[in-house]
Amino acid sequence: MAMAFASIISSKFSYSCAILKSQTKQLIRYSSYKSSQFLEDVETNRKYDITRDPDEWNSVERILPPTTVPEPIKKKSYPSGWKPSAVNLNHMSYYIERTKNHMLPVYLKLCARGTRRHTLVRKVKGDIFEMEKQLLKFLQKESFKPIRSQVNEFAGYIRMNGDFVNATKFWLEQKHF
Amino acid sequence: MSKTTDKALNLMRHLPRVCLANIRDNPGSGKKRSRGRAQHGGDYHGAGNKGSGQRQNFMRLGYETGNNPFYLRFPWEPYYRGHHLRRQYPPLSMLDLQKLIDTNRIDTSKPIDLVAIMNTGLYRLFPDQRQFGVQLTDEGADIFCAKINLEVQWANELVIAAVEKAGGVISTAYYDPHSLQAMVNVKKFFERGVPIPRRMMPPPDAMEYYSDPSKRGYLADPEKISEERLVLAQKFGYSLPKIEDDPNYEMLVEKKDPRQIFYGLHPGWIVNLKDKVILKPQDEELLRYYAS
Repeated sequence: MAMAFASIISSKFSYSCAILKSQTKQLIRYSSYKSSQFLEDVETNRKYDITRDPDEWNSVERILPPTTVPEPIKKKSYPSGWKPSAVNLNHMSYYIERTKNHMLPVYLKLCARGTRRHTLVRKVKGDIFEMEKQLLKFLQKESFKPIRSQVNEFAGYIRMNGDFVNATKFWLEQKHF
Repeated sequence: MSKTTDKALNLMRHLPRVCLANIRDNPGSGKKRSRGRAQHGGDYHGAGNKGSGQRQNFMRLGYETGNNPFYLRFPWEPYYRGHHLRRQYPPLSMLDLQKLIDTNRIDTSKPIDLVAIMNTGLYRLFPDQRQFGVQLTDEGADIFCAKINLEVQWANELVIAAVEKAGGVISTAYYDPHSLQAMVNVKKFFERGVPIPRRMMPPPDAMEYYSDPSKRGYLADPEKISEERLVLAQKFGYSLPKIEDDPNYEMLVEKKDPRQIFYGLHPGWIVNLKDKVILKPQDEELLRYYAS
């Protein structure tokens, strides 16, 4: 590269270039990264002791995050108000699965710049229309207007117009879901 | 006749006659077009004239279509001085903490620190945005009943009382941003293959808080802390449970060194997750650096 460059420049500079070549063997251009040397592995002469103590490895595993969401442990009471779903719900014609975080899948959806509020109940299985009928019967007491709702049986969700998230969660907890 | 006049008259003889082709207006006689005072000459702010543009385009929050907006009207507020440099402690309520315990996201049989809270995946912390750890807020303090050894970065009196009433131990500890970054995602940190950092001492303005026994600071005298525990129990009117008689006494009194960021692991160690080995420095200089 340096040789080729030296040959094309005019004879005026060839003398100075020859001196450069003999001294450094490469044309140094400080404006270009190509002139800088490749980074080599920095040699460390720090001494390290490699240990395989199982006790110490336990404290490593203790602080590593779990790869899956842990299952809740059965307790007599849950002070936070969280409740696990009942074990046997065979008598019900519908079922609501908990989320992976063991919570009820009831959400508030905001749209139109936060002016429109929809309540979404997800993960409904079984007779979704029966559930909608019962749920609306419960919620209608709190609303002056008739509650508009949409059922998507295939996707398994019920969407209602208005914010009924806490009321819906309360109703579902009463049904032990 | 003077020399100058002579010269000027001589010049005039050689110049062409004054005609329409070589005359111009006096400077400053014409009227210039005024400059619009906005990007597009002071028009309708991008909304157009009438129609959907004007009626459905929502201006940015606080924008007053050309007025000096209220939120920009006052150039500075003295009580906000340095707000962008202050330490932030994002909140976690006691109700949230109780819920994490109830749903088995946090193991109460071991001391709970920031690593345990971050490992739930339900709390987010950004040390690069001047966030310095968890602030435990008192919402749900009345229902809190978990016996834990808790370490947070900020807590008020009611929170401390609620934890101690339930038979637990609470302490407030400072972590510098480098240590916090290691704690936020432990697995990612170990995969980097760098030594566990040495935890720095609190900055001067935080030193008072973290060495205050009434705040349960980690640098406070343990004897004064046990004294303050009794004082707080009398103030809030509960009988202080004796942690000395507790079956989990060992767990409840477990404490980190002020230079340590992970329980059981010393600063300066390198954890190799692939080979499951721990590298410990043997160098004199390193040992001196990482010593507490």
